[in-house]
Formats: sequence, structure tokens, C-alpha cells
Amino acid sequence: MNLGESIRVAWDSIRANMLRSILTTLGIMIGITAVIAVVAVGQGGQQSIMKEMEQFGSNLFYITMDWRRDELPTGREFTMNDIEIIKANVPELEYLLPCAQTFSTIKSRDKVKTAQVFGTEADYAHLHPLEITAGRFLNNSDCLGKRRVVVIDEELAQELFPRTSALGKRIIIDNQTMVVCGLLKAENSIFGMGTKVIYIPMRVWLDIYPGGSISYIEGGTRSPEEVKTAMQSSVKILEKRHHSKDLYQGVDMEQEIQAVNKVTGVMTLVIGIIAGFSLLVGGIGVMNIMLVSVTERTREIGLRMALGARRRDILIQFLIEAVVLCLLGGIIGMALGIGGAFLISALAKWPPLISWTTVLLAFTFSAAIGIIFGILPANQAANLDPIEALRRD
Amino acid sequence: MIKMEQINKIYRPQSNPVHALRDVSLHIKMGEFVAIMGPSGSGKSTLMNVMGCLDTPSSGAYHLGGVEVSSMNSDQLATIRNRKIGFVFQNYNLLPRMTALHNVELPMLYAGVEKEERKARALDCIGRVGMLDRIHHRPSELSGGQCQRIAIARALVNNPDIILADEPTGNLDSVTSLEIMNIFCSLHQENTTIVLVTHEDDIAAFARRVLHFRDGKLINDEILNPHLTEPSAVEGGGDI
Repeated sequence: MNLGESIRVAWDSIRANMLRSILTTLGIMIGITAVIAVVAVGQGGQQSIMKEMEQFGSNLFYITMDWRRDELPTGREFTMNDIEIIKANVPELEYLLPCAQTFSTIKSRDKVKTAQVFGTEADYAHLHPLEITAGRFLNNSDCLGKRRVVVIDEELAQELFPRTSALGKRIIIDNQTMVVCGLLKAENSIFGMGTKVIYIPMRVWLDIYPGGSISYIEGGTRSPEEVKTAMQSSVKILEKRHHSKDLYQGVDMEQEIQAVNKVTGVMTLVIGIIAGFSLLVGGIGVMNIMLVSVTERTREIGLRMALGARRRDILIQFLIEAVVLCLLGGIIGMALGIGGAFLISALAKWPPLISWTTVLLAFTFSAAIGIIFGILPANQAANLDPIEALRRD
Repeated sequence: MIKMEQINKIYRPQSNPVHALRDVSLHIKMGEFVAIMGPSGSGKSTLMNVMGCLDTPSSGAYHLGGVEVSSMNSDQLATIRNRKIGFVFQNYNLLPRMTALHNVELPMLYAGVEKEERKARALDCIGRVGMLDRIHHRPSELSGGQCQRIAIARALVNNPDIILADEPTGNLDSVTSLEIMNIFCSLHQENTTIVLVTHEDDIAAFARRVLHFRDGKLINDEILNPHLTEPSAVEGGGDI
């Protein structure tokens, strides 16, 4: 009997017990659904993060205080002088920026909002893709002259000044009056989700928040190759100036990407294990129903043998039936998984990534389960004695 | 066609031996119509199983169409059953999910016959049993007699050397039985070799030769209607 005929016979017998077949294959369906959906959403998320990071630029690095320490030693925070000295001594640097942030209330004449007040310098606009829609970003004279100006995004501007343009208007940040000098396009990224960020000159930030300090330093070089050297030199200068080893940490994009990959790798592994168990249970379900099927169809098997089916014909017939059953579950699972991925992604606002590798893998995996868990029942069928089998009711 | 020499079949030779066939020797020539009779436990079913290559004898030689089959393995026997033997069962043994046409095509699937030829041959055989108007019916939509006709068509479809019919009228009323036996008679006239197991004398009466079995032995080889029987068949009479 050729393959096409075997598949047709298998499909006929599955169709004859459609409800039972669907229920049997539920475990595999759920397993495949879970794998496809989670992998698609996960890979989509990872791709979005990576894209955002690439937008950040691979010629960037950060220096932070080692946040893993229980207590950060006081008096060793970054200062504006540190920035000036590093700038003067590390030739690879194109930009070096102090950054600080804190949550504050923002008031217009009759509205109160919360936002993250971000202190930095004019060059920040060179390192990050900010889109100015009106006015300008902070410039060097703002920063050096400690001008009380602020850049906010359009959405916040709209909320604070519903009727007029916010540009040139006064807003009050922690009881300090500032003038809006620029409007940004409303941010729509994963990192910016939820919180509004407003930008003010670093020196102004330090004046407004006397207890605060620069939380990290951001550096940029002309080329990605220079990042490591620039970062290491900067850290060395800081250590020397503050007389402390291992307190300052440099992080570049490469490390960030590795960290993201590690997280997604662990996630994939955990889901893989769960899906593996689901598929194992599903496979046992298929084996069970195939054993039932062999018992039910003992007479049919006997008849086929009497009519000339060899043991291997019977074996292949039942194996194919198990594979078709598992593939049925796999295909339904794939459809549900892809649907689920789009649904989750729509809620999470990033596109799902359904790779052919995943689909192919799920397909192969379902078929493999069919073969593995079909062998025992198929073998049982093939080893029936035709005389005994024909006599059975 | 069929040549059995000193066939013995012993079940459970170690623990509790049952001697189902004792030194059975018989010849059946091509074109013969033979009935096998005997009470239950006489060994006629065992003989049918051995003759039909579903079982192998414990000892003795069995030539079927010039091939020694008593020492073949299960795959070789399956091929022999497929090409040389057409089975007709008491309970028809049609597959309930398949149409009559597909049931008849089944033996050809295992013979590797191409689709077009399969259908043509199946239709031909269904025509010979007069069932062409029912080819798309399932067995549940057919009467017992119609099912048995389809089963006979299935037995014919690989053009076998012999038709083995095990109580083919056992489940049928007398009128339908007669119809079925008429089909066997016309097949016999077309020179098909038929071996029929029955315990009913009036069914056996359709055959030209009756082999009587008791306690695993062939006890009587009777020629019926001698004026109709071909001389060659008489020569091939069984040893008593």
C-alpha cells in the first residue's frame, strides 16, 4: 500500500471518531499553541528591544555606581568636575553627559501632573533620537548659564495646557518656575511606557534637588570600536579621582544585548520545558487512544492480513494514523498559537515574530511524537495473529 | 492446484497437545468445486486456515499452485494470500466505513495495483456478482446477501488460484443462500477453483466433490453428480 493510500485510510479512521480524535490530540494542541504563541511574542519582544537598542547606538556606554552594593559610599558620587576632567583626558570621547532623574509633580496654572525630571546636557540630543516638534532642545548656553528652561513632550503639554500651545509657558516643577523651551514628539517606546520624561539642564537639576546627585554618566565615541577604550579610561579616571576601586561600572550596548539575550534565553528554556511536558502528556494520550483503536479494530486488522497485508503494512498504517493524529493537533495548535501571538502582541503593542523555523520545528515535533508514541500500538497491531484477530468480535 | 501431503497440525505441542489435523493428504485440481464437511471439532476450520495460508502446518508439505508454502514466513504467506487466495467469510468481513467499491479494491491496495486499474477490475468483479447498482453503498446499507456478493467480488479481484469460502451462507436465509450458491456455480463454470466449508448437506450438494472430516482425519472423499464432473478431478481424488 502506498503512502497516499495509507494517509487516506488513516484520515478516514480519524474522521470516523472525530470528537475522540480532537480530544486525544488536545494535549499536543495545547503544547504546540503554547510554544508558538510564547516564542512568537518573545521573539517579537526581543526584536523590538534590540531595535530600540540599536537606535540607541552601539557607540554608547554608561558609567554607573555599582548598584549591587548594599550601601553606596557617600561623597563619591559623580560631580560636574569629573565630567570636565574625563572629557579633557579621554580623546576618543565625542560626548560625555551627566544624567540624573527623579519623580516630581509638574504644575501648570490649573493642572497637576507627575513626571520624571531628567537632568542632562545639550549633547543628549545627539545621542538619542529625540524629535523636536516645536521650539528647541536644551542648548549649551542653557546648560552653562543655568537657565530655567524645560523640554516636555506634546502629550504632557496638551494635558497641562489643553487650550493653548505650551511653548514659552511657565510650569512649576517642585516649586521652581521653569519656561517651556521645546516640545518633543510623544514617545512611543517600550522603555518609555507609562512615565513622561521632561528634560532640564543638569546644573539646574542639581540646584533644584540639593540632596540629589548625578546618577550616571553617558558617553559616546565617534566609532563603536573606540567604546571599550573610552569606557575603561573614563572609569580609571573616576577611580583615581575618588580613590576607590570597583565602585564605578561601565556598561556598553554589547553587554546590554547579552543581558537581554540571557533573559530571553532563560524564558525560552523554561517555556520549552513546560511545553515538553505538555507534549509528553499529549503523546501518552495519543498512545492510549491508539491502543484502544487497535483493540477495537482487531477484526479489521485480521481481515487486512487475510487479504494480503504484511506485518509492515499494518505497522505503517497505524504509525501513519498516529502521525496524522498528532499533526492534526499540531496544525490546530499552530493556528491557535499564531492567533494567540497576534492577540497578545496587540495588547502588548509590539509585533509578533513568527519564524518559519518555529513552525517547521513544531510540525516536525508533532510528527515525531506520533512516531514515538505510535510505535507501541502499531507494533501490537502488526503482531496480531490473523486467525485470532478474525475470530474476534 | 492444491496438493497436501501428510499434513499434521498440533496446537500447544508442549502443554496440552491438540491434534487438529492428522496425516491429511489431498489433491484439488484447477477448476474443481469442492465442499469440506464435518462436525465441529473435525478439523475443517484448521484445514481452511492451513489451506488459506493463514496458518502453517506442524508437519507435512503443502503445494499451492506449484509453490511449497508450508515453510514460508508471515510476509511471504501474506503475499501468497493476496495473489493466490480469495477468502469469503460467513460474516462477510466488509470494512464498515468503506463503500462497496473500496471494499472490493482493498486486496489490490496490498498488491500495489494502480488506481485506475483498481477501479476497473473492482467494477468488473462487482459486475460478475450483479451489484453494479450498489457500488457506493456502505455495508450497513446492504442486505446480508448483498454484502456476501460484495465479499465474493472482493475475493475474485486479484484473480486468485482458489476461492476459499468458510460457511458463506451461514448467516443467510434459504432463498438468499440459493442466490449465493448460484454465484459460486457460475464461477465454477468459468473454471474458478472453489473450496467451500459447510455443515449443511444441501449447500454441499452444489459442489462436485465432498470431503468429509472427522477428528482431524479425512474420512470420505465423495464425488457428486459424476456425469458433470471433469475426469481430471476424479483422478485427483484424495487419499483415504
